[in-house]
Amino acid sequence: MSASSELTLARLPATVALHARPAGAFVRAAAAFAATIEVQANGRRANAKSILEILGLGADGGTELTISASGEDAAEAVAQLASLIAGLS
Amino acid sequence: MAFGIVECRAVAASNGNGLVGLVIVSHSAAIAGGLAELVAQVAGPDVPIVTAGGGPDGTLGTDGGRVLEALRTVDEAGAVVLADLGSSLLSVKAALAELSPGEAGRIVLADAPLVEGAIAAGVTASTGASMAEVAAAAEEARRVSKL
Repeated sequence: MSASSELTLARLPATVALHARPAGAFVRAAAAFAATIEVQANGRRANAKSILEILGLGADGGTELTISASGEDAAEAVAQLASLIAGLS
Repeated sequence: MAFGIVECRAVAASNGNGLVGLVIVSHSAAIAGGLAELVAQVAGPDVPIVTAGGGPDGTLGTDGGRVLEALRTVDEAGAVVLADLGSSLLSVKAALAELSPGEAGRIVLADAPLVEGAIAAGVTASTGASMAEVAAAAEEARRVSKL
């Protein structure tokens, strides 16, 4: 199976910042994938599997995140994580 | 109540679910207990956490006996210890020396800032990561910028 690279955009709901609890949920979901996953926002980039890096993005509600992944399950990873971001409440 | 958090939310740094646990050691029972609550909120309720906060008489300080007791609750899944400052770390080192090689071998003392290290370790432990990976996540807190 060849590794793939995937990229998608996901916007945080207007009222939900990527602060401690949602960031924890995001990182735990990311950790379930073998792919290397990165999130970019506000001109910064973070390893999706590092809670401290994700918190360091300082992403407020309404921020558009770029989620990119590479590896065998990259497509599933970006799809699931984008869906998680859009569905945070 | 200096040891309250241990009785009310976790009795051991292991709970048989196979996840690596955390042991939080602080001069303050309130810091240790509050941090355990925060980690549970970010990492979810499954990561076993035990705290040893405050001195023997409920004041600020460290209690070597309580630290040893906390370390002895760690099972085969292992645990990563996070300690705040100075004598907390000395108490952990002294307690580790009291344990059998088998007991001590499943405990790692992380060289990490307490709050950030515990959050990183807790989230990583919640994913089923190994003791070495949990400790590495805690120590990564030394290099990750907050702003």
